[in-house]
Amino acid sequence: MLSARRHSHVSQGMSLLLVLGMIGILVLAGCGSRPAATEAIEEESELIIAQGVDATTLDPNMHAEAPTTNVVSNIYDSLLIRDEDGEIRPSLAESLSNVDDHTWELTLRDDVEFHNGEPFDAESVRYTIKRILDPENNSPQAGDLSAIKHVEVLDDYTVRLITHQPFPTLPAQLVDRQMVPPIYTEEKGADRLSSQPVGTGPYRFVSWKRDEKIVLEANEDYWRGTPSIKKVVFRVVPENSTRIAELQAGKVDLIVNVPPHQAEDLESSPDTRVERVPSTRVIFVATVSDEPGPLADPRVRRALNLAVDAESIIDSVLQGNGIPLQGQPVTENHFGFNPAVDPSGYDPQKARDLLAEAGYQDGLSLEMDTPDGRYLMDKEVAQAVAGQLQQVGVDVSLNIREWGVFVERIMNRQTAPLVLVGWGNSTFDADATVYPWFRTGQRFCFYENAEVDQLLDDARETMDEEARLQTYHQVMEILSDDAPWIFLHQQMDIYGVSERLDWTARPDERIEVFDADIR
Amino acid sequence: MTRYMLRRLSHSVFILVGISLVTFLLVHLSGDPASLYLPLDASPEDVEAVRASLGLDRPLHRQYLEFVRGAVRGDFGISLRHREPALNLVIQRLPATLQLAVAGMGVAVLTAIPLGVVAAVRRESPVSTLASVAGLLGQSMPVFWLGLLLILLLSVKMRLLPPSGRGGISHLIMPAVTIGTYSMAMVMRLMRSAVLDVLGRDFIRTARSKGLPERLVIYRHALRNALIPVVTVTGLQFGVLLGGAVITETVFSWPGLGRLLIQAFNNRDMPTIQAAVFVMAVMIVAVNLITDLAYSHLDPTVRFG
Repeated sequence: MLSARRHSHVSQGMSLLLVLGMIGILVLAGCGSRPAATEAIEEESELIIAQGVDATTLDPNMHAEAPTTNVVSNIYDSLLIRDEDGEIRPSLAESLSNVDDHTWELTLRDDVEFHNGEPFDAESVRYTIKRILDPENNSPQAGDLSAIKHVEVLDDYTVRLITHQPFPTLPAQLVDRQMVPPIYTEEKGADRLSSQPVGTGPYRFVSWKRDEKIVLEANEDYWRGTPSIKKVVFRVVPENSTRIAELQAGKVDLIVNVPPHQAEDLESSPDTRVERVPSTRVIFVATVSDEPGPLADPRVRRALNLAVDAESIIDSVLQGNGIPLQGQPVTENHFGFNPAVDPSGYDPQKARDLLAEAGYQDGLSLEMDTPDGRYLMDKEVAQAVAGQLQQVGVDVSLNIREWGVFVERIMNRQTAPLVLVGWGNSTFDADATVYPWFRTGQRFCFYENAEVDQLLDDARETMDEEARLQTYHQVMEILSDDAPWIFLHQQMDIYGVSERLDWTARPDERIEVFDADIR
Repeated sequence: MTRYMLRRLSHSVFILVGISLVTFLLVHLSGDPASLYLPLDASPEDVEAVRASLGLDRPLHRQYLEFVRGAVRGDFGISLRHREPALNLVIQRLPATLQLAVAGMGVAVLTAIPLGVVAAVRRESPVSTLASVAGLLGQSMPVFWLGLLLILLLSVKMRLLPPSGRGGISHLIMPAVTIGTYSMAMVMRLMRSAVLDVLGRDFIRTARSKGLPERLVIYRHALRNALIPVVTVTGLQFGVLLGGAVITETVFSWPGLGRLLIQAFNNRDMPTIQAAVFVMAVMIVAVNLITDLAYSHLDPTVRFG
């Protein structure tokens, strides 16, 4: 009844108008002048950062995510820090030494106070570490410190950490463990620490509007000196294109996770630039080789590596924003990287020969799982890999999985025999990659090699750096030859930056505002 | 009237119980939150411990009863991700979503009704053509695309409005237009055809032949009758707006319920999903109830008893 007469009014004039209107919108959107970008941010020493998601908590011991780390690392300090080159340096701990293979002694600074006036001392260290390890607290960081058996307070500024077994990567683990004030946390409770954090860091907490913004102000009494940027705002802007628009409109100074195909717009503008840095995250296709099937044969796995051209995937799918892996699971920035390993390269003919040798001259079919939107262009990378494998007669059927389902399948060892994964390792030590992935019995280990198991166990308990490095070099040789992964690339982190901001991207994804400046 | 209201209220309670059951089942069947709650390298023992501490190791019907017992008291449990009572998280974000939905509705109704009436009364005028174009574009443009286009045009190129975030009125304009456009188109087309329909009826001819001025004919007789279907649809559009809020809130970084819900789904944060869906359901049921009452008020032939 209602629509009986509607269509009689649709005239030719209307469709013409419609077309003109649409053209008009597109034209308006496509041109127009661009006034200076920086006029919008009023205060000169105010920095606005836009991330895709909000912090989940401001309690530094109860999370395991980069966006939260970016906020809390400006409020709190840890015992040790990493400089821009990835070297571990003293921070709240002035020095670190080994009393014996099981005992680390830390000498703490004696001139540091929390923002509420509470002194930082040995008790803060003991309290924080116990807090992370306490099973009651369910801290996602507990696993990182599980080697610590006991914390011994020698005096106000000296602490000893006693480990169950020799634990050479302890300093790397202490880098991300931020110190909380014991009295404040005990008296006010963990909820208060999470919503009104008190640290020793360069910035004090001001306010937090959930899913909107977190405001921090400079801690003028900071022990490393007065921060030059006086106010920091972390905004939450989930949509990539909107984040870029915020930067272009001059409303924010720094944005994270710029998609590769949108980086060019920011580079060509005089008001903005792009900062790229090789991240600690590697992208690869893991093979399930510890179960019977074609992938149990190392020749097949080698063939898959020869059939995939990582460089062309980087060029075509990632617009050049990646670095090919060198036939081993860690990047050259990681301790344990073996420069002598010769990556197999791209050789489809050799791949076909190897497959034929293994009895698959007529090809084979494999399933592959990939997440969608978790890593830079992950689904597209997986499709490119599948396409290249097709060329040598490996028929891949790709399952694109929602992240929750994807994780659950890996956790329950129900994953497809090929699975595209990204693995971040910000300890800069091979152990945090190769142990979970290649030590039999570990959660992500879909590979079986008794020799590798032995070497990995040895490396874990070797305190001598050089000997440990040699052990990992051996591991990398074996892995390169045995090819448990299809080695793809190291991901690039891409940031959009306002020209008025003096800041350099770090390989560990952190945004240290203390080191930045506004021009 | 009171009996009618009581009956409608009891229907609403049934609907809410049904929604809670369906949400509960869907969320529990869609996967195990424990594996997402911990970092990827957590041990299987850790995962088991978390499952136990969240009560996920108990049989499903016991978990549901537990959930209902809490929900009745307003306790939906602690958010797995935020470690805060889930209902608090929802209530914190409710004002932003309501503001957006009401502003969107305002934009929709305030433009759709006059435009629809004029388009019906002056059928050959440019306004009518404009209305048809707006109706077609409004209903066919994806919300996502419209939002980004507005940002590019009004924020990046012309620097008139802030691209995203919540703040003053200037922050509200683009999200409200974006979320209201679909409903605007819908309501306007309906308004136009309803007025056209009413204008052809006998009582309008009678009114005109009485010598009533055309303005009075339109306002007093035609409009009131044409509004009846429009009110119903507008009420239903409120639900559409709350659903559309998920996309609009993401595009415009609007800190509302829609975004909370999306994140909660991605993290299998069951308490938060349940609390958010429940609160949204309550709002939609309430708006439908109000619409029905308004309907019976506008149309004297609708009387329930």
